[in-house]
This record gives sequence, structure tokens and C-alpha cells, in this order.
Amino acid sequence: MKAIPWSLPLIILWVSAAQAKVDLVSLPARDDVQLTIYNSADLTLVRENRLLTLKEGLNELQFSWANTLIDPTSLEMWPKADAGKIDIAELTYPPRTRNIGLWHIQSALSGQVPVAINYLTSGLSWRAFYLGTLTPDEKAMRLEGYVRVMNNSGEDYENAQVRLIVGKVHMIDDIAELARREYPYGRPGYDGYARQEVDRKEEAPRALMRAFEAVGMDADVLKEAKQIIKEGLSEYFLYTIEGTETIPTGWSKRLPSLEADSVPVVNLYKYEEERYGNFVVRFVSFKNDKQHKLGETPIPDGVIKVFRSVDAVEHLSYEGQANFKYIPVDEEAELNLGEVANVIVKPVMMDFRTQNYLFDNGGNVSGWEEVKEFKVEVKNTRGIPVKVEIQRNFGGTSWKIINSGDSGKYEKIDADTVKYALELPAKSNKEFKYVLTTAYGRRAER
Amino acid sequence: MRSMNRRYVVLVLLGLGVLFPAASDARIKLAALPQRVEAIIRLDNPDYTLIEEERVLTLQKGLNKVDFAWNGVSIDPDSIRLHILTHPSKVRLLNVSYPPNENALVWEISSAEAEQERVRVSYLLSNIDRLITYKALADKEETKMELKSYLVLRNFSGEDFAKAQVFLDDAQPFERGINHEETQQWLFLGQDQVPFQKIWRWDSLQQVWDPEKVQENVGIPVSYKIKNESASGLGKNTLSAGKVRVYQQDGQGSTILLGEDTAAPVSVGEDMDAYVGDSRDIVVTQRKMVDQTINVRRNTNNSIVLYDKEQQINAQIENFKDTPALLTLVQHMPQEWEMKDCNLKYTRKDAHTLEFEIALAPRSKQELNMHYYQRNIR
Repeated sequence: MKAIPWSLPLIILWVSAAQAKVDLVSLPARDDVQLTIYNSADLTLVRENRLLTLKEGLNELQFSWANTLIDPTSLEMWPKADAGKIDIAELTYPPRTRNIGLWHIQSALSGQVPVAINYLTSGLSWRAFYLGTLTPDEKAMRLEGYVRVMNNSGEDYENAQVRLIVGKVHMIDDIAELARREYPYGRPGYDGYARQEVDRKEEAPRALMRAFEAVGMDADVLKEAKQIIKEGLSEYFLYTIEGTETIPTGWSKRLPSLEADSVPVVNLYKYEEERYGNFVVRFVSFKNDKQHKLGETPIPDGVIKVFRSVDAVEHLSYEGQANFKYIPVDEEAELNLGEVANVIVKPVMMDFRTQNYLFDNGGNVSGWEEVKEFKVEVKNTRGIPVKVEIQRNFGGTSWKIINSGDSGKYEKIDADTVKYALELPAKSNKEFKYVLTTAYGRRAER
Repeated sequence: MRSMNRRYVVLVLLGLGVLFPAASDARIKLAALPQRVEAIIRLDNPDYTLIEEERVLTLQKGLNKVDFAWNGVSIDPDSIRLHILTHPSKVRLLNVSYPPNENALVWEISSAEAEQERVRVSYLLSNIDRLITYKALADKEETKMELKSYLVLRNFSGEDFAKAQVFLDDAQPFERGINHEETQQWLFLGQDQVPFQKIWRWDSLQQVWDPEKVQENVGIPVSYKIKNESASGLGKNTLSAGKVRVYQQDGQGSTILLGEDTAAPVSVGEDMDAYVGDSRDIVVTQRKMVDQTINVRRNTNNSIVLYDKEQQINAQIENFKDTPALLTLVQHMPQEWEMKDCNLKYTRKDAHTLEFEIALAPRSKQELNMHYYQRNIR
């Protein structure tokens, strides 16, 4: 472990009985560190293990965190051995100093004691993103998921076990705000927090690694990309990255989280004026289940960029990108890749009339029907077959439809919406008509 | 490697480890730059340009770090993909790291052997795009045209491409080189003897009804219409959107510019219309001759609750040219209507739009009389 002068030093002061003599011991290094990073909040739980050398009696241990984003109120330390003989009950934040905490440790033994330290920090984050590659016929997709872990915490974490939390955690305080407080718990009489500026250095010093010095260490072994172990925990999913990772501050790292080949997909084109305007919007959908070679865990929300393999040697064409929400197991995901011009839907109202007027006793119009005749032209200019869904919304809820042409049957979606589903061969056209009769006023009464 | 003040995309093979210099030095990158051996510029997505480039890396047995850096160019980092081509079973991409405050990433690659590996790097690159322009040269008789389409490639991406395959839609790729800040225009479609129609279009919502009542000159929009079909020598691909300039042979060995327009994408079987200018030699004078309320229904308070209207439209259409003309006359109808009588044949384009195709002989005059009811007005 390298010594970084501005980050998380621990200093032990051995205090004599008379409190007169102070001895300084060498800095204990981290033995290991674990990062549990959340993505629903700017929050990371850091757990590190260190080996302290204590003397019998009172020990004072100074912990400082200048230029980091640690929440001082979250600091916690406990012995991992001889717990009955070591009392770490008191933590003080000295006056007129900042970013320093002093643990008062009463020890009944002398020697090395393993301790664990927990704290919360902000500045570490992660996000999921995905790359999808459709087959040339667009019936299947290779889905590659990644997590990108970003470290802007001000602290270098070397050889850290990295765990990622998928889920929404409820927080009252913003950890970054707590980290910037002038006093860890604020001060009486102030509603707001007095803040301090983080005195970041322009460039974090880093250890120099010599070029080529470690080449050949693992030369005999073809390494595989690290696996991410996924497990459910309460309402969250915990992704644990195999082994350890070194992520210096300012750096980020992309690791593979998911790989599924030949995921069957439905390539669907939708037209619905109320939602998408006068455009056809392309969707690619799949289900997070075993039939689709997925379904082991939920898929965290993220952005997917979708490409299409255009030849046998996997040259690519870029199809578009979509945001998608968290996909629970067995849930279907629908990726909106945006408007397209190569599949065309043109609904045209060809006739409009009103009929069957009713009048009340005062002679006023009290009921009538509107008759609208629509012609819908659908054109597939692509070289592959496509499925097209056309949703039509009506102004009223009392209606009937008579279809003709290539429409097939319609599906009633809700009280005033129907859906037509068409399949078009490559480079083909279809046309259908429907006559919609909508009743209003007393005509709509049953 | 290029000097730091240049824009670049570079791929650098490092030994093990990204090299963290002491103190404030920049990150050190070592080793020779592997030359780009193939590049593809894919322009089939009108909003994004995908670059695929292939390079040969000399990998050492064990772990290798490859630095991919760009400066002065805009690359979407999440779009960057590395594809192992030569020995995919013996080479693994382990992870990707992103250094701070740099446009760069570092691939950590494990190789079972010390060997040369061809890789393909793909990424979305901004500020390199394509335009399509059309140039049409009509014959003097205005029946056929020579149609040329040009691909304009604009490279302001910051990156030079010495040689690249350029893909556009379904068309065959071109091989070209293009440097940063360079614009190239290539002919990619040239078709002679494309038949077209010259269309005069008068729209009752857009044109003046009675030219005598206005002081300024009144013209009727003129457009050229071609069909994207095999009979026209076209019909192989969608014609992309773009600017159309229309010229005409003047019969004296030279040409004149008739006008220009912006064309929307035209899929196979569809028409491309280019509005080139206005004609003052075709005159339409339209008047409403009858506008009568009928079939009035009143409530018990004697207020009107429902009624119809009887309307008659008369349009005088005159061709002052020495040549025939085909006029498309567009009439917009009320919400609910019923035609009683019309002396010319029309096509119902939608519930409220009628189109009349009127063939006008040279120096001739025609008349449209349209008698209809507007129903159920409330």
C-alpha cells in the first residue's frame, strides 16, 4: 500500500498515564478494503481492515480525511479480535481543526489488534450500459452488459473488492453535503450547514509503475475477463466483481457484467399519432427470462447502443440507442430506437359524415353519430420482413369498426384505442380500410 | 504519435500497466503506434457516423495494455468497441479503464502467445457527415432529364482518413481518403433520359382566388415530378433527402437554372417533387357563386341548432402558353359535405381534399363548376 500524504492517514498516539508523553508510531496500512457502491444515490460504503499496534491503557488514534468526500458522522471502528479487552467508545472531533477525528481506545492488552473501519463516502459511482448487436436478419441480438465504475472520491483505492448495489436506497442526507460541513454535525443555531471548500490538489499523485516490469507475471495463463457474481439481498441486487480492482481517483473502469448470445428479439415498428406523432418508431424487444438466454437476475437500468452485424465478418451498422428501465426477471424490455423513414404508415381519413341526430324536447341536438372512413397505407422499404403495430385512438368510447383490406383483426387496447398488427414481407406494401362510427350524447347511452 | 497540438485518434500499445508518472507529469504512453490498415466510414444512419478501423497489435504473451486516445475529436466513449479478429480464442479483452481528464481509454488484453493480432476498433464519431445533392438537367421540351446525385462528405471530425471504405444506405461502398476540414463531393448516381412531369399546382388554400383584385404579380407554383421506379432508370434504392437544383437546356448549347428545392426521402415507387418556380402564363380565377343557408332546424326558442349550406364554386383556368400544360387544382372541402354536381373529374385525396388533374391545351381555357352541400352545421 502506498503512502498518500493527504488521504486517510491513521496515527496512533500512545498516551502515558500522566498524559504528558506522546509517542508516535508508524502508520498502519490498510490490509484490505471493500467498496460497496450504490447508483441510486451518491453513496459508497467503505470497509477497510487495518492492523493497529496498541499499548495497554489509553491509546489515541487520529484519523484524518482532508481532500476526500467522507461523511465524518459515519465513521465507525471496532476490533475484530479481543473485543472484550478493547473499548473503542469515544470519537472526538478536535476544535479548530478540520477533517480529523480522534478515537480514544482503552486497551487491556498490548500488541497488534486487527480492526475494521467503516465509513460512507461520496464520489464513487457506477452505471450500467449495454451494447447490442443484431444479427443481419434482426431476429436475435448479442447482448453485452457493462458496468462502469467511476472514482472521483479524492481517494485512491488499490486492490479493493468492489461491490455494486442495484436498487433504490432511501437517504435523508446527501453524503456529499455531509462531507463538506465545516463541523461534522453542524453547529447549534444554524439551520444550514457551514461548508468548507475541498482543497483538492490539481493532480493526485500516483505511484510510478515501471514499464514492462511485471510483464510475464501471468504470461503462461490466458486470463479471462472477470466475472460478476450476482445475488439478491433484501430489495437489492448485489454485484460483486471477482477479485480486486485498483481504481485511482479520477479514473473509471469498465467491466463486463453480462453476456448473452443469440437473444431472440422482436423487431417491431409502431405507429401511434398520440404518442409518436406522424412517425413510425422502431422498437426491439426481448424478455429477461431463460427462454431468451437471460433471466438469472434483474438487468439494471441503463443506455443500450444497438448495432447490426452486416456481413459474415461482423462489420457493424449503428441502429440507434435507447434508455431502458430496470428489468425484473421475466419482464419484457422494449427498446425505443427512435423514428425511422424506411417503414412508412400513412393513415388518411377519406370520408367524414354525421348521422342519426336526436333532439330533446326543447328541439336541441341531444345525440348523433360520426362516421369516419380511414385508409391506411403501410410500406416496408427494408430488405427484411417487418412487423408493424398501428394504434388508433378515438375521441369517444361508444364506437364500432368495420374493417376491410389487409388489416386482419384488430385488438381492443382500451376504451378508445385499437391496435392493428401487420406483418410485411421485404419491400412490400399493404393497405386496409376501416369505417369508425362513434356515438355521442344520447346516442352513446345504453 | 502526432504532436499534442494536433487532433488525433491514436492507438498505443503499452507494456504492462498504465504508466503513472510521478508528480504532475502527464500520463506516459510508450511504444509504436500501430498503423491503421483498414478504415470504414459508415453513413447509413443519417444522425450518427460509425467508424470501423483495423490495426495490427504486436501483443506480448501475458498481459498487455493498449491505450486508445483521441484529442480534438468527439468520440462517444461508450460506443467504442474492440473486436479481436486474428486469434479470438487466444486473446481476451479483460477490462477497460478511463484515465482522468483525458479523452482516452486503456484496454487490458490477455494473450496466450506473443503474436501479432489484428483488431477492429469501432466508435461513433461526431462532425463527420454526409449530404446528398441532386442536379437535374431537363431537355428543352421538358419531358426528360439527366439526373445526377452527389454524395457530399464533410469531415470536420478532427481525424484524417488516408483511405476508407465509405458506406451509404444500400448503395455499393466507395473507397476514398478524406482529411480533417476537407469536403468531398462524389457523383454516385447518374441517369439519363429520366422521364418527368411538369406540374402546375393551384391550391385553394394557398393561392390567390382572384388575381385581378391584387396588385402584385400572381404566379402558380411549378414543379418537376419524377418517379423512383425502374421504368425511370431508378428504383434501386431510396433517394435520400437533399437539395435539388434543376437546370434546363436552352437550345443554344447552354443551360439556365430553373430553380431549386429540398427533397424529402423518396422510397422506391414514390414520387419526388421539386418546386422550381412560379408560372404567370397559367391563370386561375376562382369565385364562390352561391353560398346559401338551407335546411334550417330551430329549437323551441327559435334558435338555429342545425343547418346546411348550398355552395357553388366556379374556377376559370387559362393557359396562355404555346405549349400544353397539366394543372393540378386542389380544392379544400368543409368538414361534412356532399357533392351535388361537378363538371370535371376529381380524385379524393382525403376526406376534405379534392384534386383535379386538368390537361390544358396551348392557349386554351377551361372551367370548373362545383356544386355541393355543406351538411349538419351546428
